[in-house]
Amino acid sequence: MALYIVEADCISCGDCEPVCPTMSITEGKVVFKIDKKTCTECEGDFDVPQCVKVCPIDNCILPLEA
Amino acid sequence: MNSQAALSRELALRIGLAARALPDTDAKRLLSVLTDCIGLPITEEKIAGINLKTLKTAKAGEFLDVDEPLLTYALNILKSGLDTPPSALKQETYIDGDMPGSVRIACASNDGINVDGHFGSCSQFMIYQVSADEARLIEIRNPEIPHGLEVDDKNVFRAELIQDCQVLYIASVGGPAAAKIVKLGIHPMKLPGVETIADIIDQLQTVIAGTPPPWLAKVMGIDASDRFRFEREATG
Repeated sequence: MALYIVEADCISCGDCEPVCPTMSITEGKVVFKIDKKTCTECEGDFDVPQCVKVCPIDNCILPLEA
Repeated sequence: MNSQAALSRELALRIGLAARALPDTDAKRLLSVLTDCIGLPITEEKIAGINLKTLKTAKAGEFLDVDEPLLTYALNILKSGLDTPPSALKQETYIDGDMPGSVRIACASNDGINVDGHFGSCSQFMIYQVSADEARLIEIRNPEIPHGLEVDDKNVFRAELIQDCQVLYIASVGGPAAAKIVKLGIHPMKLPGVETIADIIDQLQTVIAGTPPPWLAKVMGIDASDRFRFEREATG
């Protein structure tokens, strides 16, 4: 389980990067990206994924289809 | 009556507004140049006689290095106040489909030249249609709420006024207002300082001509498959 950032919607504001408890978010070549190997969707750390909470764009960070 | 009292309220206001339209100029500086130009007392009749050249060369060329369009604009304000839009700002017609690969932007402005407006209080939204090699001023929208119209939320009213724009440039905007702007699908861009609209358009055109970021390409209506693709990064 992991989240991903929709490339066409991300505005590269960078708000999500510092709030990730597992440091899974980094700035990619185009937009920010989430490392699906380390993303936990914040389980164990927070009730809701922190990146989704701070992201200013609706439906920009979504669960990766398993 | 001394010269101070002779300056009408209206004229004083125009001098203040005109000074604001000029870079690094306060009313005092402009007043000193005007005094050198036409002498005291400053009257409407005498101001009407000033032309661009006299303003430029007055006080040993105090305004010599100011851009001419800005000086002309300031002179317009001096002569007739803010009501008459500067003649340089000609609005052009735009019909959908005229400019393929273009984006519509709104600039929050008070003077019509700079992006110097706060979203909730600016006196006008300058609407431009911008493509890589063309920019048209298509409308100047007045965000005043018409008399008699009941509006629940001033900021929603303002955001709806520019709903057809994809990008909004402002000098400042509050958090809740920004959220309302984003909700309507407009991308707000708060500038770090006051910049001229011309500079903003220049920068935007460079971005459009190069590699627009995906979100911009999307609002410009460029098909996902046609967007410039970066080398796919390994996703694991």
